[in-house]
Amino acid sequence: MESPATYLHWGFILISWPNLLVILGMLVVFAIALVAPFPNHGEADDVSAK
Amino acid sequence: MKSMGQTQEEYYRGVRMVPYDLLKELVLAMAGVGVLAILVAAFLSSPDVAPVTIANWSQADPVDFVTTATGELAGTTTSAGYGAPYNTTPDAFQSWGPIAPQAWFGVRIPIDSANAYVIDPLKHASFTNSTLAASLTQWQAATPDQQAAWLDAYTTALADATVKDGNVTVASGDYGPLTLMMSNLLGVAQTGGLDGLLAINGRFYQTDYTQPLLFMGDGGYFDGLAANEHLSGDLWGMMNETGTYPGQTWLWLYTMWYQVPPFTSDTGFLGLNAGNADLGIIILMTVLTFLLALVPFIPILRDIPRWLPIHRLIWRAYYAPNGQAPGRPTSVKPLGSSVPPAP
Repeated sequence: MESPATYLHWGFILISWPNLLVILGMLVVFAIALVAPFPNHGEADDVSAK
Repeated sequence: MKSMGQTQEEYYRGVRMVPYDLLKELVLAMAGVGVLAILVAAFLSSPDVAPVTIANWSQADPVDFVTTATGELAGTTTSAGYGAPYNTTPDAFQSWGPIAPQAWFGVRIPIDSANAYVIDPLKHASFTNSTLAASLTQWQAATPDQQAAWLDAYTTALADATVKDGNVTVASGDYGPLTLMMSNLLGVAQTGGLDGLLAINGRFYQTDYTQPLLFMGDGGYFDGLAANEHLSGDLWGMMNETGTYPGQTWLWLYTMWYQVPPFTSDTGFLGLNAGNADLGIIILMTVLTFLLALVPFIPILRDIPRWLPIHRLIWRAYYAPNGQAPGRPTSVKPLGSSVPPAP
């Protein structure tokens, strides 16, 4: 971990692999946030019924 | 808008809401991130690079140190000609039209490179060194032309300097007192004395490293360390971390502009170019920040959520077509326990 990171150089894109992985991780979390159901969506949470 | 005499319950009557436990989400998110941070720290540790000091520099690359110190004495280094806030070098400030904050605020951290990095430290060292004191007297008594001639000759000779036992040796020449002065300065630096002298600021706690950082920044050693760690500008260094660790990736928006025209161009566009890139990018980001804050009032931008209804994907149960999906109550809930969905 103490040695400098390697780089991805693709066309005009020049980015270190750790930074790229973090960015990809953020996109994955965003995608999960879009599609993952809210915990209470499967329940009858209509408060008017409570 | 809530009218006078209207209760909260009346105000929200008819507004569809979805029950949502924000406090529960906050607690779970904090706990999850906390556990993840502890686990990752345990397995991967964190960057812990030893601090770079003038002592390290002068020991590892004595020629670079002496060359830089000679440049400080000659006033030819980057910091010596930087202008505000360090010195009064004319026209050495960035501006865009009438906007020139570097000039507006002037010299707030005055640094005389020759005195700060060479003469003053040598004066301290000369208290117990009469030979050095005589050299300093000779230097200060010389005419500017004589000093310039010594500096030129010594700087030229440093290109072929050799190092033996940590000392810098140059070919014979007329360098006046420079050889002795630089030899003593190198000795002070290698023992760590210069780090202490440049960090003295009269306060109990010392957190101001402006002077040593500027001095090291003028040399090639510090720049080389940064380049080895991929921290230089052409590798988007501001968003990198030392080692293999990821950096502050949120800074990409700021560093990106340094890689694209007009901030890479000498001629530029509308007066923005590589020469005033720092100021230009601050202005650009300020404008973009205002635009972000004003999105609800900007046609087209404010309509994007209607064209790309991502919020309907998140609140898909609420927007279910049959209108009877869970979480589609029409009753009133107390404020604070519910969040209204996006439009």
